Amino acid sequence: MEAIMRLGRTFVPPWLERWTEKHSSPLVVFLVALFLAVFLYGIVTTDNFLNLFNLKTIIRDAALVGIMGIGLTFVTLSGNFFLLSMKETAALCIIAFAMGMSNGWGFELSLLATMGVAVGAGVLQGLLIGLGGNPIVVTLGAAGVFIGIASWWSDNLVVSFRRPNDAEWLGTGSFLGLPNITIAFILIAVLAEVVLRYTRFGRQVYLIGANRAAGKATGHENLPMAIKVCTIASVCSGFVAVAFAAQISSAQANYFSSEFGSSGDMTILVIATVMVGGNSIMGGYGSTLRTSLGAVFIAVIDNMMVLRGFNSGPRVLAVGLMIVFSIIVFSLAQKGSRAQE
Amino acid sequence: MSVLKHAVAIAATTTVAIGVMATSALAQDKPLIISFNGPAGEAYIGKFIKGIKATAELNGYDIEVFENQFNQAEQDQQVQQVLAAGKKPDVFLWWPSDAVAGLGSLRALHKTGVPVLKINQLPNEQDKQFIFGYAGPDDRLRARNAGYMLRQAAAAKQARGEEGFNVIVLSYPHSYGGYGLSINAFNEAIEGSPLNIIGDIDEGFGQSNGYKGAAKLVAKVKDQGIDFVYGMDDAILTGGIKALEEAGFKMGEDIVAVGTVCNGDKQLIEEGKQYGTTLQSPLHEGQLAIKMATEYLETGTLENYLNFTPNPAVTLDNLETVALRGYDGALYGIDELCSGAWTGG
Repeated sequence: MEAIMRLGRTFVPPWLERWTEKHSSPLVVFLVALFLAVFLYGIVTTDNFLNLFNLKTIIRDAALVGIMGIGLTFVTLSGNFFLLSMKETAALCIIAFAMGMSNGWGFELSLLATMGVAVGAGVLQGLLIGLGGNPIVVTLGAAGVFIGIASWWSDNLVVSFRRPNDAEWLGTGSFLGLPNITIAFILIAVLAEVVLRYTRFGRQVYLIGANRAAGKATGHENLPMAIKVCTIASVCSGFVAVAFAAQISSAQANYFSSEFGSSGDMTILVIATVMVGGNSIMGGYGSTLRTSLGAVFIAVIDNMMVLRGFNSGPRVLAVGLMIVFSIIVFSLAQKGSRAQE
Repeated sequence: MSVLKHAVAIAATTTVAIGVMATSALAQDKPLIISFNGPAGEAYIGKFIKGIKATAELNGYDIEVFENQFNQAEQDQQVQQVLAAGKKPDVFLWWPSDAVAGLGSLRALHKTGVPVLKINQLPNEQDKQFIFGYAGPDDRLRARNAGYMLRQAAAAKQARGEEGFNVIVLSYPHSYGGYGLSINAFNEAIEGSPLNIIGDIDEGFGQSNGYKGAAKLVAKVKDQGIDFVYGMDDAILTGGIKALEEAGFKMGEDIVAVGTVCNGDKQLIEEGKQYGTTLQSPLHEGQLAIKMATEYLETGTLENYLNFTPNPAVTLDNLETVALRGYDGALYGIDELCSGAWTGG
């Protein structure tokens, strides 16, 4: 690892080295370098990769998973591990939204009701985790409850609302050639990064994630933090649900439960974006920007493999390998930084 | 008066007691069917379960349903639990999550001596010996009908003197058994026509994967020109149509799309964005399963080893008129038969 870093430094101009030393870690540099290497390899060797249409396809492909990943990053950074109920929260929210739309509530009221459901789901999980519940156990249980309610509420049927409707602008509309969902992804990514870097709440997320005991000693309890971050993650899931329902004007409890194909399981894919982005699984280290890049990186690799003719099996394998790779890189980098200290 | 009250009370109690005993005796005499299948949360399987339950009740059977979350290990465990509990129904309905991986469980069910009817996934060489028959859809017929519909559309295009016959396929995962049957039947159906497959993507099941897969495939083959789309089912195709529209194609004008299963969006056919589909009703499939179980219990054999649900083609022309008579004698319209967004009018 050190040798790679040394080799990398020989090609890096001094101003860039100073900038990276000041603003970023070697891991970020490594990830960006890796991303660029894959990207360049794609440009050179893959037909139809480097054109505006395909680049837009990549970002659009990363958007929904990326938005959920950004929400989940808050949970991970705060040291509360992962929510294993991301797709089930989305399932409950998509049914809530479609029920509202099919009953003629209109977009705004349906959205409001859906966000209410999302906040409720987040607060419930955050409360249980904050009171000492194991995040895995709590969110596994919550996942069962949410998907159960969604299935029961929809009677296991597709809930549809006819086009034209006032939700279509979000699902299928575009602005300056970019799909609105892509724009939403970019805006949410920027907003989340600003919140984490420049607000008191953001600093508390890092503090409690890095050292819960120190956080407690300075008056920052995990209970309110767990409620807040779980709510953010749930609201992100809820937004994805609304965007997806708006796209196809229908909803079903299992829309996010794809058990086959290259997309695999939605929750696992969302966790993959957090991991591939290089966020610390134990909390306190990382950013939503990393997660956004992780989502785009996965989409780039997947897109490239499709263009090169790979079917779903190797593509699922690639996502799995990326997670393993990112964990190895992360642990190596942590060892390196501890040695430097 | 009080003697009369006592007499009435005793008579009433005796009647209730006899009724309860008779009911429980009758209940014990009712044949029992146990079904192993996927989750009711999936719209298609949800309607299948409704079909088997309603028809079993109509035919005087008790029925127990064990749902798995598309997970063969979970289904294997359910089989072990049923066997360990010593349950011996009159018929097992076996809809495996993974027909190959679930072979051991099927063998275990067969060993009990209880007849097993396979559902939804066509029998293969390994499991034929353990089942008495099959009830469900014919992947080949469904795909063939889709091929014929595209062929028809291509012939009309050719007659108008227009060019462009490139087809993209939005597939099931290639590892899924239905993929091979579907693509082979589709290829046979379009053989000899000007239609030419230029791309095939297997992102996964459902609308979300259909969208993502189509978006990537469009990026790959857009320059060659896309004129026709075959979706292996309508759910995948629904997502695919959205991706094609986002890419700037006008569905129904630039591209003719055909799907199957009618688990997508009826409004796409009404709007002319989807040329047609092949009806495949889970309700009908459930009814057929109980009908075959009944036939076997009454005669000890099946007239036909393979029993398929009908797969008529559905286009805008017959969208509101197509109907099928169920095995319960009732006539069902397309909104009741289909499993997608077909009731949102």
